[in-house]
Amino acid sequence: MRYFLVLIPLALLPLLLNDFWVSQVLTRALILGVIALSLSFLATYLGVVSFAQVTLAGVAGYAVAYFGPNTVGLGFPLPLYVSLPIALLLSMAAGALIGLVARRSRGIYAIMITLAIGVAFFYFTRQNYALFNGFTGFSGVIAPKMGEGNWGDPMPLYFLALGVSVICVVLVNGFVRSPLGLAVQAVRDAPGRLLALGIPTTYPIVAAFAFSGLIAGSGGILNVWFQERVSSFSVGIGPIIDVLIISVIGGLRHPTGAFVGAIVYVMLDIFAIDLIDRDRFNLLIGIVLLAIVMAAPNGLHQLAIDWVGKLRGRAEQPRTN
Amino acid sequence: MPLNTEQKTTTANALETQGIGKRFGGFWAVKDVSFSVKPGERRAILGPNGAGKTSLFNILTGDYVASSGAISLFGEDVTKQSIPKRIKRGLRRTYQHAYLFDGLSVCDTLFLAVAGVRGGWRQVLPVRSNDPRREEAERLADVCGLASFLDRMVLELSHGQRRQLEIGIALAEDPKVLLLDEPAAGLSPAERPLLSKLLLSLPADITVILIEHDMDIAFQTSESVTVLFNGQLMAEGTPEEVMADKDVHQIYVGGAHGH
Ligand SMILES: Nc1ncnc2c1ncn2[C@@H]1O[C@H](COP(=O)(O)OP(=O)(O)O)[C@@H](O)[C@H]1O
Ligand SMILES: [Mg+2]
Repeated sequence: MRYFLVLIPLALLPLLLNDFWVSQVLTRALILGVIALSLSFLATYLGVVSFAQVTLAGVAGYAVAYFGPNTVGLGFPLPLYVSLPIALLLSMAAGALIGLVARRSRGIYAIMITLAIGVAFFYFTRQNYALFNGFTGFSGVIAPKMGEGNWGDPMPLYFLALGVSVICVVLVNGFVRSPLGLAVQAVRDAPGRLLALGIPTTYPIVAAFAFSGLIAGSGGILNVWFQERVSSFSVGIGPIIDVLIISVIGGLRHPTGAFVGAIVYVMLDIFAIDLIDRDRFNLLIGIVLLAIVMAAPNGLHQLAIDWVGKLRGRAEQPRTN
Repeated sequence: MPLNTEQKTTTANALETQGIGKRFGGFWAVKDVSFSVKPGERRAILGPNGAGKTSLFNILTGDYVASSGAISLFGEDVTKQSIPKRIKRGLRRTYQHAYLFDGLSVCDTLFLAVAGVRGGWRQVLPVRSNDPRREEAERLADVCGLASFLDRMVLELSHGQRRQLEIGIALAEDPKVLLLDEPAAGLSPAERPLLSKLLLSLPADITVILIEHDMDIAFQTSESVTVLFNGQLMAEGTPEEVMADKDVHQIYVGGAHGH
C-alpha cells in the first residue's frame, strides 16, 4: 500500500515538466525499469542472474514491429489486439525456452548461458533479413492512434509506461505470493528439498523465466513505441549491460529497486554527456557502479529504505521519551 | 481380484526391503539389507557414524537409486518409483542436516509441503488466507510447536526450531511411514524432552523409523531396534535383545560410538 503513495508525485510530475524531461528522463527510466525489473525478479526470487532479458524485450519489440505498422515494408500487419498478445506470448515462450536450457545452471554458468543466448540473438537479428530485416531492423514503428495524436506522444506514452510499470510491479508482487511463486523461491533456496516435497524443480524455473519474459516483453513493446524503431542495436551487448547496471544500482534485494536504478542511470546518462564525452561515460558509469556497490551492497533502494528507517527511528525517539 | 488386493494391503508390511544396497564406486555404503516394519510400528535404527543409516533412508525415499534389491511400501513395489510418487504413497522423511528454504516463512514452507502432496502448486494467484492448504499449514505449525512463528523467516529460526519445522513438513498430508534422520541431533538437553514428547504424540497408526544416537530418545519412543554396521544389518529385535547382543555391545562400548 505504501508503494502506491509514490504514484501521486509520479502522476503530477509531468504537469510540471517539459516534454524533454517527461520523455527522455521519466518515460525512458520507466521503460528501462520494467526491463530491469524482469532481471531483478529472476535474481531476487529464482536466484539466477540472466543476461538475456534484453533479448526477451527484443523478441516482443520485434514482434510488434513485424506484426504492426513500420516503414520498411516487411511483416504482416495485424490489429493491435492480436499483435500485442502475440508479442507477449512470444517473449514468454522465449523466456520459457531459455529457462529450459538454463534450468540446471546457477551462478556463473547461468550467466554464461544467458549471455551466449543474448549474443547469439544479437548476431542472428543482424544476419536475418526475412524476419528481422538484418542490420537496419525496423523503423517507423509507431504507437497506436489515440484521439488526435497517438500513444507515442510524450504525455500519453509516459502515462502508458507508468501504468505498465505499476501493473508489472503488482504482477510480480502477486506472483511471488502464489503457490508457484513460493515454489520458485524454494528452488532458489534448496532445489533438492523442493523435490523431496514432491514438487519438481523444472516447472518453477521455466515458469519464472516465462514470467520474466512477460515483464521484459512489456518493456520491450514500450521501448519500440518510444524509439519508433527496433534493430540489432536494441538487443546488443550495450543494452544488456545497461540493464544489468540498472538492476545492480537499484539492488537485487527488492525488485522495485530496478526503477530507482533506472532513474539514476538515465540522469547520469543525460547529464554526464554535457560534462564529459561519450567514451568517458562508460568510465563514469563504472565508477558510480563501484561506489554504489561499495556504499550500498544491496543497492540504492535498500540504502534508501535503511535511511528512512533510521530517520523514522530518530524522529520517533523524542516522542517516546 | 479386489478382495485379494484388499487382503494384501491389510496384511502387508508398511515397509519391506529385500537385499537393498547402494554402491559408490567400489564401496557399498549399504549392502544387502533386508528388513521389514509393520504398520504402526516404531522402529529405531542405530549404528555408528558412517554405518549407512542416512544412505538407507535415501534409498527408501528415492533420493538414491538402489544399486541392488527391492523396496515395497504396503505391499507395493516402489523400487523404481520417483520421489513424488513415493510421497503420494505416504512416505515422508526429515533430513539429518537441516535443509530448508531459508528465504521463506514457516507458513509458506509448510504450505509448500501440503501443496506438494495435495497439488495445486502450479497456481499463479496469491495464496488467500482462507486457502484450505494454508489452514492445514497453520495446523501443522501448531503440531510441531511453531504456531507463534508462522510468519518468521526460516533463516531466523533457531536450530531446534528448524528441526521442529522438518518434522512439521514430514507430517503434511496424511503421512503413513515417517523416516526421521537424527531429529535430536544438535538439540540442547532442554530441547530433547520436547522432541520426545512430539514423537510420542504422533498418531499411533503412523509407522515411524527413527535414526537416533540418543539412546534415551530411541528406546523411549521405539518398540524395536535395527542395528547397522558397515552398511550391513548387524542385529534386530527389541531394545533389550539388541542391547544384549555381543556384537552390538562391542561397537557401542568398544569405542566406535560417537558423532
Ligand atoms: N553420495 C555419496 N557419495 C559417496 N559416498 C557416500 C555418499 N553418501 C554416503 N556415502 C558414504 O557412505 C557411508 C555411509 O554414510 P551415511 O549413510 O551418511 O552414514 P550414517 O548416516 O550412518 O552416518 C559413508 O562412508 C559415506 O561417506
Ligand atoms: Mg547419517
